[in-house]
Amino acid sequence: MSEPRELPRRIVVAGDGPLGVLTAIALRRALPRTEVVVLAIPPDPAAFAERFGTALPFTNRLHDRLGIEEENLVREAGASHRLIMRYFGGAGHDWQGAAGYGAAIDPAMKTAFAREWGGGPRNAGTGAPPRSLGEVLAAAGRFAPPSGETDSPLGEVDYALRWNVPAYRAHLIGIAQALGVHHERGTAKAVVPDGAGGLAALAIEGVGELSADLFVDCSGSGAALLSAMPEMQWIDWRAGLPTRGLAIAAPGPPMVALEDRASFTPLGWRWELAGRDGRQALLGVPAGASDEAIAAALGSEPDAIVAFAPGRAAAPWLGNVIALGSAAAELEPLGGIAQDLAHRQLALLLELLPGRSVDPAERAEFNRRSGLMADRAADWLAAHYAAPAPTAQFPDLTLSPELFRTLDQFTRRGRLPFFEDAPMLVQEFGALLQAVGVPSGQGPLAAADSTSEESAARAFEARANAAFHAAPLYGEWLTRSLAG
Amino acid sequence: MKQRPDPLRVVVLGGGTAGWMSACSLAKLLGPLVTVTLVESEDIGIVGVGEATLPHIRGFVEKLGIDEAAFMRATHATYKLGIDFKDFGRIGESYVHPFGTFGEEVAGVPFHHYWLELERQARADPIGHYSLAVTAALAGKFRPPTTDGGLTSTYGYAYQFDATLFGPFLREHGKTLGVERIEGKVVEVRQDTESGDVTTLVLESGKELAGDLFIDCSGFRSLLLGQTLAGEWEDWSQWLPTDRAAALPCSHVTEDYAPVTSAIAMSAGWRWRIPLQHRMGNGYVFSSQFLSEDEACAAILGAVDGEPLADPRVLRFRAGRRKASWQKNVIAVGLSSGFLEPLESTSIYLSQMAITYLIELFPQRGQIDPRDRDEFNRLVDMEYDRVRDFLVLHFHATTRDDSEFWNHVRTMAVPDTLAGKMELWREAGRIEKYSDGLFYDASWIAVYLGQGVMPERHDPRAQLPDPVQVQRAMGVLRDAIASEVAAMPGHRDFLNANTQRLAPLS
Repeated sequence: MSEPRELPRRIVVAGDGPLGVLTAIALRRALPRTEVVVLAIPPDPAAFAERFGTALPFTNRLHDRLGIEEENLVREAGASHRLIMRYFGGAGHDWQGAAGYGAAIDPAMKTAFAREWGGGPRNAGTGAPPRSLGEVLAAAGRFAPPSGETDSPLGEVDYALRWNVPAYRAHLIGIAQALGVHHERGTAKAVVPDGAGGLAALAIEGVGELSADLFVDCSGSGAALLSAMPEMQWIDWRAGLPTRGLAIAAPGPPMVALEDRASFTPLGWRWELAGRDGRQALLGVPAGASDEAIAAALGSEPDAIVAFAPGRAAAPWLGNVIALGSAAAELEPLGGIAQDLAHRQLALLLELLPGRSVDPAERAEFNRRSGLMADRAADWLAAHYAAPAPTAQFPDLTLSPELFRTLDQFTRRGRLPFFEDAPMLVQEFGALLQAVGVPSGQGPLAAADSTSEESAARAFEARANAAFHAAPLYGEWLTRSLAG
Repeated sequence: MKQRPDPLRVVVLGGGTAGWMSACSLAKLLGPLVTVTLVESEDIGIVGVGEATLPHIRGFVEKLGIDEAAFMRATHATYKLGIDFKDFGRIGESYVHPFGTFGEEVAGVPFHHYWLELERQARADPIGHYSLAVTAALAGKFRPPTTDGGLTSTYGYAYQFDATLFGPFLREHGKTLGVERIEGKVVEVRQDTESGDVTTLVLESGKELAGDLFIDCSGFRSLLLGQTLAGEWEDWSQWLPTDRAAALPCSHVTEDYAPVTSAIAMSAGWRWRIPLQHRMGNGYVFSSQFLSEDEACAAILGAVDGEPLADPRVLRFRAGRRKASWQKNVIAVGLSSGFLEPLESTSIYLSQMAITYLIELFPQRGQIDPRDRDEFNRLVDMEYDRVRDFLVLHFHATTRDDSEFWNHVRTMAVPDTLAGKMELWREAGRIEKYSDGLFYDASWIAVYLGQGVMPERHDPRAQLPDPVQVQRAMGVLRDAIASEVAAMPGHRDFLNANTQRLAPLS
């Protein structure tokens, strides 16, 4: 007869940044009888999985599940919507392309209506027609999040959120406090092993020992707990990703926009995140870049340059210690992927939530799937560097076998292989490759069928038209939402 | 304007189910890119495996532009909601593996964890009571599912049909798609001396059939891939020891048709029972290591309840697959590619799957790229391997010790990939997750629980809600399913009311 696992009595979450607080909320909701303690850890400048206020559509679903309402994030945490990322310079100076989100985006879409309404700035070199409703709406500056009615013309538009990080964290802390999450501010001085490959407690300065059944490491790139485990091993991604540091510009003036922009510079991808409380420019920099070159590529003197080494923990769950976010994987935050990965790992932990004791097979399953997620997230980033211009700049990058297969199939056949646990949908991966300027081939089905393109174009035109007319000007919608 | 190269000349060898499925699909979906010629011989019989199917075949039929009613009428088809397994885990026990789910997850915890918790407290009904597909199957009811996201959309269906009629039906359809059919036996296969590619099939009549791409649907003979190209075989008989089937059609004894295929464990294997419109399909799948052919024929004659309509016919096979189903310019589809015994009705699916991947990876501009061939072989292997693990589970997860066969499968070492999945289930009641291939969570749960493999522990969250309330909520679901099933027509009644699906009485 199957027995339920004994409920954990106490879980300690190390790290009280947004990820630590979100994790505490998730655990407390899942295990209301379990004490959840969040331990303060000095902020880590390289905690890219939470330092910048944006993620990808998956986070919206996780927020929903955890009772964190988008409406409140708009009101209290400066949240705004991103429908697309627009990429510049991936295939030469004049190149631009946009990538949207969700399963409904169709990388092959080409229509007259869409060319008229979307397609980006008129002076753009490519004049590529939009490929998704998100692109049409972003260009028109129109959007309101669909409120759940099934037949909304905006229902298929998926989006990412941006937010103000301190306000977001404060909002999460409010929810965590209401749920009875404890906060411990003392500094952890040492770990106390449990003699069985895990931890029994943390020694806290001025407090004594804080024991727990499970420890979740959200401490950032230093991985305060995971790195204390003797079996900790690191998988190095540096051969595939050129970025060794992140240059961060001083925040700019507020900016409301439905798109964010990434430009390929002589150093790497420069990314600008719009925001109601100020925009933020970031630049991934390779090793050995000069200060002048960084300032030139970033467009201003950086506020800070944070060094990091892309890679991931071989097993983010060792003993009873589970690492999430930057403690489990270090990657450039471009487009929100680092925070997206952290939130997916958190959701995986919820799916495979252990009891008071840990079952090895369950831990192995977490490590297997978490590793797949992280590796595919690294492929997503590496795909940005697989466009023609970055390839010319960084000719020696090594592709993972999975990314190699993806690029090969895409460029020759327009096909995208499926990978288990990949963070991004194949449609989204295809949209990204198109947007950064990786040339696409045509598959046999498309080649054989002369009618489908035309009828798909007509159908898209109708959908785009309906979405355009259903959506208010985004700025007006925001004003109304904040007033109401 | 699109630039199209000259059509690729595709030659399909073999006119069985796999052959005609391949020919029709390629002609329909790749139209102007191909010419399709199928060569078959009336002197060579077809195996006609796969009387029972999986729901995927509905998409196949639809994609080819075939009317479902015409297809059912032509193949004497009935509906299928799952498979009813008897005596597998233990003699006297049975369960249905449905084309559907069990309950719904609550607060992120899958339904079966709550069921395990109630079961522990002796408050649960059998898990099948929480599945509409299982309940309808056991009640002999059928109605097509809805797509509204409610209870009536929690199941799918497939068909049980006469596989020997499916090929001929597709042959007629293939004519309308422009497939050229050539009657004849292949006596010689010519290869390019440099590349080794197959260039020409020479028929008994002396006719020569040249092609660019050859689809080997020659059945177990595997004439092109196995014989001409000597494609290596990976043998799986250590895990799936059945290697014979004694097939025996018989008459119906009841008015009703069960909307399920039955799989009934026997002393050296198992037997199928597949209700078609005109007859009952039966067959004893056994291991010749433990039972002679004569004994098997006697056993199936003794086991059937209807009047035998023919003498038992013995088919021979072996479990395994080619190490690469696509080599040079030859792609094996169907039995020439591999064989997994019919316990979960996967034969036609495996052909359909290979055809789908072939179309996705079809040579461009007349050239086969080795990377596409590798990708095809990777995908086909993944599918075969996942089905294999699921099949092995049915034999291995047993307490039966009443025969040498069951002692063997119960104690054998299983593939590592399956051992890992079973360990995760046993320790924590969890299913190893994958999204590609066949058989997901609900299927694994059905077999594990149906064959008495209980986990040691389940999710800690299942004990959080008040068990009385969980019991009540599950009772509401059970009752909703029961009343839905009560309102469904009987399977036979539903068919009778849809006369365009009925074959004329012979």
